[in-house]
Amino acid sequence: MSETNDSSAEESRRGFLGSFAAWAAALVGAVLGVGPVCVGVYAFIMDPLRDKSKDLPKKSRGSGADSEGFFRVASVDEIASVVPRRFTIVADKQDAWNFIENQAVGSVYLQKSETGDISCFHTTCPHAGCSVAYEQDSAAYHCPCHNSSFKLDGSKLEVDGSTNPSPRPLDKLDVKVDDNNNVFVRYVDYYTGKHDQIEK
Amino acid sequence: MFGKLYNWVDSRTGVQESLEEALYENIPGGSKWRYVSGSMLVFAFMTQAITGIFLWMNYSAGSQNAWASVYYITYNMEGGALLRGIHHVMAQAMVCLLPIHILQVVIEKAYVKPREFNWWLGLVLMQITLALGLTGYLLPWDQKGYWATKVATELAALPPFVGGYIQKIVVGGNEYGHFTLTRFFALHAGVLPGLLVGFLVLHLAMFRKHGITAHSSDKRPDQMFWPMQVLKDGVACALLFGLVVWVALIHPAELGPPAEPTEPYGAARPEWYFLFLFQMLKYFDGSMGWNNEFMGAIVFPGLLFGFMFLMPFIARIKVGHALNVLMIALVVGGAGYLTWEAYQEDNYNINNPEDTESAAFKKAAKFHAEVKRADTEFELIQELVEDYGIPLEGPLALQQKDPYTMGLRLFRRQCASCHAYNATGENERLAIAGPVIAADVEEPMGAPDLYGFGSPSWIQGLLSVGENGIGSARYFGNTSHSEGEMIAHIRDTMWAEAESEEDKQNLAGMVEEVSWALSAEAKLPYLDYAANQDKIQSGIDHLNDDTLGCVGCHNYKENEFGYVFTLDNYASSEWLTTMISDPNQIYSEDWGTYNDRMPAFHSEATKLLTANEIELLVRFLRQDRTLLGTSSAKVNPLATAESSEEVTEEESAE
Repeated sequence: MSETNDSSAEESRRGFLGSFAAWAAALVGAVLGVGPVCVGVYAFIMDPLRDKSKDLPKKSRGSGADSEGFFRVASVDEIASVVPRRFTIVADKQDAWNFIENQAVGSVYLQKSETGDISCFHTTCPHAGCSVAYEQDSAAYHCPCHNSSFKLDGSKLEVDGSTNPSPRPLDKLDVKVDDNNNVFVRYVDYYTGKHDQIEK
Repeated sequence: MFGKLYNWVDSRTGVQESLEEALYENIPGGSKWRYVSGSMLVFAFMTQAITGIFLWMNYSAGSQNAWASVYYITYNMEGGALLRGIHHVMAQAMVCLLPIHILQVVIEKAYVKPREFNWWLGLVLMQITLALGLTGYLLPWDQKGYWATKVATELAALPPFVGGYIQKIVVGGNEYGHFTLTRFFALHAGVLPGLLVGFLVLHLAMFRKHGITAHSSDKRPDQMFWPMQVLKDGVACALLFGLVVWVALIHPAELGPPAEPTEPYGAARPEWYFLFLFQMLKYFDGSMGWNNEFMGAIVFPGLLFGFMFLMPFIARIKVGHALNVLMIALVVGGAGYLTWEAYQEDNYNINNPEDTESAAFKKAAKFHAEVKRADTEFELIQELVEDYGIPLEGPLALQQKDPYTMGLRLFRRQCASCHAYNATGENERLAIAGPVIAADVEEPMGAPDLYGFGSPSWIQGLLSVGENGIGSARYFGNTSHSEGEMIAHIRDTMWAEAESEEDKQNLAGMVEEVSWALSAEAKLPYLDYAANQDKIQSGIDHLNDDTLGCVGCHNYKENEFGYVFTLDNYASSEWLTTMISDPNQIYSEDWGTYNDRMPAFHSEATKLLTANEIELLVRFLRQDRTLLGTSSAKVNPLATAESSEEVTEEESAE
């Protein structure tokens, strides 16, 4: 009994980390505690960041876009003049463990000017990611969330009695038309809430 | 006997000592009712943990399953609605108790030296509680939770440099999907409650170390925690639980229509206790340079939180404590004001019913219309689930086959810029407002109201004049046909010639019969043609004899000399399909008032709608709710009442 008392007294005299054994025990303990966490957190963080385009099955059509990222969205005849019309972007899609064909992966507004020029806007509000809707009576795009509004040309519209918190105009997307009147849109998502257009 | 057993257990476990340590905490100045807020929060959390675990036993994360399992819990499971209701209401009660507890701690100066760590632990607990609320909102995977949470995760990308990564990690990739749910669920049911328990243990340990802040006085002697304070805590918690159960019973937890990533929900709002943050975002519009969204969503709330973190130090200076109290009161008051303002904005149309022309009114009206649309969509999916059950592919697969749900959406998107669908009576929920037509519009815009298209009453209106007649906005009033031959015939010939009251009644009778005859061409599934055989037959005779002058221009059966579209099969499935797909196959360029704006939705040149979508629209317009992929019931309008009964009997015999 007295021996144990002596040694424990000695231990406490030397302090909590006073011996090699104490340091070793603390180190092993730390590794044991942190190791599993590291493995889990690594997978948690790294998997969403990896490029998942290779997850698509080999026999799928892929993203549905050409090499420059253009999707076929409509034909010229389908686009109304002046009044914007909403179109969906359709592509094959991989959602985690499921593969889904011909999914709507996004949407755009297409409109023809009086001179026939076609312009395209992303339907996502650049403020906080809600979907803007074109409203005929005011001939403008309105966001249902935080009062952002946009004119027909995509620029910010100030409505009396409320602020327009959007940091930039509606996101304009590149459009090209081929010889067969097919309209292609380079569909990309941009980060919202930023002054500049930054691709996701 | 019991005493002996107790001693046996105690000598081996030391339970007596532990109990005494737990319960015999001295309370300077004695027990008080106002000390109950902390215990109530602990109780609320315990309730959440317990009900949460039982909800977990019936919940399945994943895009196809989440909504379906929550639907099951809410509408099928024995006791499920109450279980989910308590979880839902207690979460809100917890958020209500938080500011009370905080205010109390601040006012009673329980956050200052030496209780700094306890204050900080409390702040961490508050953050975890709010995070639990945020993550829980998404789990039912309904439209509201989906679109509201989307805004929250968009905000995650705001911090410079790392924002994009944070967003991807939270969402589980670039887009919402299975991983968003699995991650949110793991956070909601595992990580966050685990952290909460850990920090709660530390919070309570610190509390026990420093004891209650109050001082003893002669008037009020000290008391032990047991039994008076425990009793007060218990009574308060019991009252809370009773209140929560009561609210859960009278206001069951809502479930919206299933999340549909391609159908934006225009009334997405966060849970009410986050509305002040939602409202605040509107003010950070970057107009002053520094006040951008990153400031509003991250930096400003972060600064407030930082201030709260520093409060124990601020209290050391002379007026520090007063400053802290003022600041906390401002924060709570400000949050309350912003919440009120958010509600005011959304209810502007209700509070200011006369101000219909203002932008604020229109926006609020639109918000309410979207809420109503979501209610209707939920009603519709609920009927589908009851009729057909939820398939393995999830609720959306069912919805996408439903002519009503999809008809509403397609009509709203593709038709409502010209046509209205003023459904009434039991179909009122399907009503869709047509275009808003400004008084000063020069060119005609707008097209006939299509509710009840092809029915006798619709055709009767078309063939009459006056307020709801052919010249009104309900029919051709806002179209280029408003000065056309059809309207001229109805107004200036047909009705103009009926001079006496008797003539008019005669004409009205014939119009009704002709309307039934034409409607018989439509073969609408919701009409009882058999019971109106006589009218139909007389109508057919009128048409053949050209009593009303219809077949002078239109072809009908044997009459083939008309020069505008035939009335054969008018408003039938095939006719409507052609009309929507390529209207110029029905209209002809030869007549004066040709089709000047109805687009072809599925022709050689245009594919605005797929064939399936057109079929859904056609069934919607014909009020035929047979699911896509099932052939709709065949209607034989010329069958008499008796023979149709025979058919039913034969069918039931099979």
